[in-house]
Amino acid sequence: MPTTITEPAADVVLLGVGYMSGVIAAELSIASLNGGKNYKVVAITKGPYWDYVNDFSTTKYDEWGVGLGRKYDSPLPLQSATIRNTPYQFALPVRRYTMPIQYHALGHGVGGAAQHYGGTMGRQGPWGYQMLSQTNTRYPGTIDTINPHNDLEDWPLQYYQYEPYYVQWEQAHGLCGNYNGSATNSSSDTHFPWMSQNYPLPPHPLTPVAQSFQSAAEALGYHPFPHVSSLASQPYTNYPYGVPVNPCVYDGYCGGPCDYACETGAKANAAYRTIPAAMKSGNFTLVVNSFIFRLDTDPTSGLVTAARYYDPQGNVHIQPVNNPGAVFNGMWGYNMIRIMLLSGVGAPYVWNSDPTMVSGAVGRGLTNGYLPYKGTNVSGTLSNIGGNAYPAGNGSGGSVDIYDLMDDNFDHAGLGFIGGSQIGAGGYPGGGPGNITFAGGVSSGSMGATFKATQKDKYLQTKTTLSATPFAPDLPTKDNYVDLDPHYTDMYGDPLTRLTYDWTPNTYIGATWLAKNKVAPLFTQMGAQNVTVGSTVNPGAAHNDWWGHHLRGGCRIGKDPTTSVWNSWNQCWSPGTKTPFNIFGAGEITNTSGDTVPSGTHVAGAQSYRAAEGIKKYLALMTPGLLLP
Amino acid sequence: MPALRLSDKPKPISLPQFESRIPKPEELVVLSKPLLDATIAIGKALVNCSNKWAIGGDVAEVISGVNVNPSHIAILTTSEGCDEITNRLAKYQVGPARTVERELEREAKVGLKPYKVRIKSYTSRLNVEGSRLDVHGHLQIKVGNWDWGDPLDFEPDYVYVVNLKLPIIPLKMKSEIYTGLGWTDRAIKIHEAVRRSRHMFG
Repeated sequence: MPTTITEPAADVVLLGVGYMSGVIAAELSIASLNGGKNYKVVAITKGPYWDYVNDFSTTKYDEWGVGLGRKYDSPLPLQSATIRNTPYQFALPVRRYTMPIQYHALGHGVGGAAQHYGGTMGRQGPWGYQMLSQTNTRYPGTIDTINPHNDLEDWPLQYYQYEPYYVQWEQAHGLCGNYNGSATNSSSDTHFPWMSQNYPLPPHPLTPVAQSFQSAAEALGYHPFPHVSSLASQPYTNYPYGVPVNPCVYDGYCGGPCDYACETGAKANAAYRTIPAAMKSGNFTLVVNSFIFRLDTDPTSGLVTAARYYDPQGNVHIQPVNNPGAVFNGMWGYNMIRIMLLSGVGAPYVWNSDPTMVSGAVGRGLTNGYLPYKGTNVSGTLSNIGGNAYPAGNGSGGSVDIYDLMDDNFDHAGLGFIGGSQIGAGGYPGGGPGNITFAGGVSSGSMGATFKATQKDKYLQTKTTLSATPFAPDLPTKDNYVDLDPHYTDMYGDPLTRLTYDWTPNTYIGATWLAKNKVAPLFTQMGAQNVTVGSTVNPGAAHNDWWGHHLRGGCRIGKDPTTSVWNSWNQCWSPGTKTPFNIFGAGEITNTSGDTVPSGTHVAGAQSYRAAEGIKKYLALMTPGLLLP
Repeated sequence: MPALRLSDKPKPISLPQFESRIPKPEELVVLSKPLLDATIAIGKALVNCSNKWAIGGDVAEVISGVNVNPSHIAILTTSEGCDEITNRLAKYQVGPARTVERELEREAKVGLKPYKVRIKSYTSRLNVEGSRLDVHGHLQIKVGNWDWGDPLDFEPDYVYVVNLKLPIIPLKMKSEIYTGLGWTDRAIKIHEAVRRSRHMFG
């Protein structure tokens, strides 16, 4: 018979053990980083501990199991989500991994989704933190037209205030690159994320296509720089934890659709950067294969007093939190929202057809931080540059990017959109088992003589196909949100997460304009032939069917406790019955606005160090309460 | 909004579980912060050092992923390098550089026979932010009554620590020395680290 077990209380309890929780684990458990204090930290994850040698060096070559069986991912029978595009639709549950998300990872186990992601990184620039105020200043009165039912907000802090936390994140995780394109790298250059310290590792070697892109971009007056990657380009020892990191061996298998697992630990994630230091501290306890289903709260104070979880045998464990003590919500994506809604922590977002009547913050402001699956695309052919696409290289190195076409780095007057995107080219052509066809279905192009013809030059390419799908930020609206599904439950009987979401017009309008006016000329400058802007997609012509990776917002940090969950210290200030101010959180889902860079992880990473500092301050308070900004 | 009623359906998860073992703390490789900070300070001071040098000793192994517990930092260089390094780190110097010969605590085991091991080098001792640093110029090793070996020479490998590109004694060279001394446990630790850093087919 399952029973209930009460565990020893901890000073800090971590919900999930991904990138963000790893930072909190290391920063709070290592006494030398806390003025000699030995905080007891407990971290709970529903998945396993992953050892990159034992788990990936042989098993990742199982293309069927990894790509289709999703054996590294969160099991859908355990919990899924339901999706719909509008509040007027009936949301249906995701029952299997399908196109297009099957190319992407969901968090499960120590290291979370970062165990098998591409490794792309990149700081968000100053404009991204002040999207609303900057837009209202430069293009007054346009935001509500651009973004119907607008719910865009500024972040509580500006870029220069997050900059030191970015440095901490980059040095702890061993990011490689070489600045971000600013000609001066000066804090006065607000078009680029200037850096007080360069990335700790040099960039990966550039491909010939990347060098071509670099020359073309410079010729057009742009400011190219090597792609920022979390795949270690050199042997590295991280700071301040002293964890040694193996370099990338360029076997190529982490790229492409094979789910990105790395068998040398070169790809940054918590399991191989921060958690080892926490485990070495003697103050850290790791609980795996355990499913958190509820947070207990004190009815008088509102504070979170314990986390409840199931172990694989069905026993219920109660993990108490000391008082003073803190809980860090580092769950993947919308799971962060779900546990708060299930537990009555914070004010849940309540949608209303009258946008002036919405209320609450938990679940509010869901966006997608990436490009639409069905977006306007630019393609071209470089007939003078071939490539060797036998698996070699890695998932996020070798290319060159520009930030000149994102943020407010060009005049948007009259364009009907704000922001833009990072544009790049030249990644390593050998990226995993390229012959896997996951969900293309049977067609004349995927079988028979036509298919064979396409294979002739597949690996020893004699030319290079360029392709880019630019986009502009997906902006928060009052109609895109997360709540609990009233119909479908997980295997324990608790409601699933329900995503109500569709692409916002800004994304598509920006994508089409950028494709035609900026990216196509770039490709032409590179010497590409047959440059084509294909399948222009207008707003409302394609609908979201994503439910997995790259979601942003929904549990935002902000300046106003009625519309945001977390304050500037990533401390909960959303009032439920009471304000549970001993819970902190960080993740892509806490990013306030739709991202302008593809790596919401990097942006959230800075928040994780801010949160760690906040938790330390909170634990040091004589009378626990909300931290001052 | 109040919390939803607690689930009354606890039941075993009938899902496949990965069986990866969580490593014990002593199995994890981490360089302590004092040694890490001292290593960084040394690396910054020696960026433009004109003589060949490299981090040696156990610190070089830890930052290469080898599971050992260093007590101090060691640098291998030439006699001229020892003087240059000592000058560059003069504020940390404890005593003047001089030729030092000493017997190691651990004996070599060659052909199942134990032999005393002696080392000799032009040595400078420093204290870098609380961590001991020994700089060895022209380090030589003597096993039993055999002749002194040639001064150790090397082409360093490199490891980045934050933005510093630090030269380190190659693991291959250390493995060969350990094997020659019969310290197979140390050689095995190196081989384990190498195994974890390489592509399985590479």
